[in-house]
Amino acid sequence: METSVEMVGSVAVVAVSGSIDALTAPELAAAINQQIEEGHTNLVADLAGVEYTSSAGLRVLLGAVKETRSRGGDLRLAGIRPDVKKVLDLSGFTSILKHYPDRGSAVDSYGG
Amino acid sequence: MNSKKVSIVIGSGGIKCAAAIGLVKVLEAEGIPIDLVVGCSGGSMYAALIAAGVTAEAMQERTLFLWTSEIMKDYTSNLKATQDGSLRFNERSGLVDDSVMNERLHAAFDEYRFEGLARPLRLVATDLMRGERVVLEKGSLFDAVRASLAIPLIFPPWEVNGQLLVDGAAVDPLPVDVAIQEGAEVIIAMGFMLSNRGRMRSMTAVQQQLNNIYMNNLLKATYAFYNLAHHAEIFPILPDFEEPLGMFDTDKLPDIIARGEAAARAELPRIVRLLEA
Repeated sequence: METSVEMVGSVAVVAVSGSIDALTAPELAAAINQQIEEGHTNLVADLAGVEYTSSAGLRVLLGAVKETRSRGGDLRLAGIRPDVKKVLDLSGFTSILKHYPDRGSAVDSYGG
Repeated sequence: MNSKKVSIVIGSGGIKCAAAIGLVKVLEAEGIPIDLVVGCSGGSMYAALIAAGVTAEAMQERTLFLWTSEIMKDYTSNLKATQDGSLRFNERSGLVDDSVMNERLHAAFDEYRFEGLARPLRLVATDLMRGERVVLEKGSLFDAVRASLAIPLIFPPWEVNGQLLVDGAAVDPLPVDVAIQEGAEVIIAMGFMLSNRGRMRSMTAVQQQLNNIYMNNLLKATYAFYNLAHHAEIFPILPDFEEPLGMFDTDKLPDIIARGEAAARAELPRIVRLLEA
């Protein structure tokens, strides 16, 4: 799994690629937490490159959304692949997190 | 390969549950140990056979033996009789005369008890009077499978240890919680969503559609919670079925098993990676 961060206006876009599982989830958590600690609480997780996420990955996303929302921000998802969406649907994530087809629309959802 | 406790969970799903045969084929071929088997409803039958160490070929044969329309003995006439009031219903009733089903389940499971199975097994049923989950783990496998399969209204409930039990899917269609409770660290959960009906031409059909909606949402809601509550990994395996399957579409069995196998194989690299870590 690899992560990279790009600031688009006031939105921090964390692009993730590869598989998020018990072994790689801590790395994703660290990348997201660093953004939150730096005061970037409007986050987009661009999952276009993610081929798989396990329950460990979902727990990281949930922790991040709780933390950002408690600080007045949000974590929004972008570019979810069909196989990953199936897992997110099953585990209720697409009901509680806002998600968009691509990173542009996810960033725009913060309304500049 | 690993010291992690691996559990497979086979959820409710009628004939689709035969996809579990494909899952076990893949796990066994890869040498992945199965330390615990959990099943519910139609999944109970396969969970029981897997725990008993029955081969994939033999499971397929038993499916063909068990799942034929004869197990629905008198369903249509009894349904009509309930509608015209000539058949009264109570908590012990079902629309089916279960004698054929019982005979077949006896033939398939009488030789087994929970004690002495090749792998530990837990089967889930519902206490009809209390509305609570019941985990069966001792005694007759026939009783446990029969209870777990007792689709409410269709099959009469089955009494075990003084409790009147029906289909476990009423409370826990994909009982990942049982595997968590038993200390499983890696859970491979095969679940099945019920298909939406196209047109509905009877009250029974509408009722069945509503039931499917309830069940699918119960599955999602419980899975969502267990997924977050579990400290380790759950691998959901959800075989794709392009078309709705009828209860007795056993002619599609090879395809169902192949879909289970394909879905399991897609998850395999990640399961192996975790077990080898």
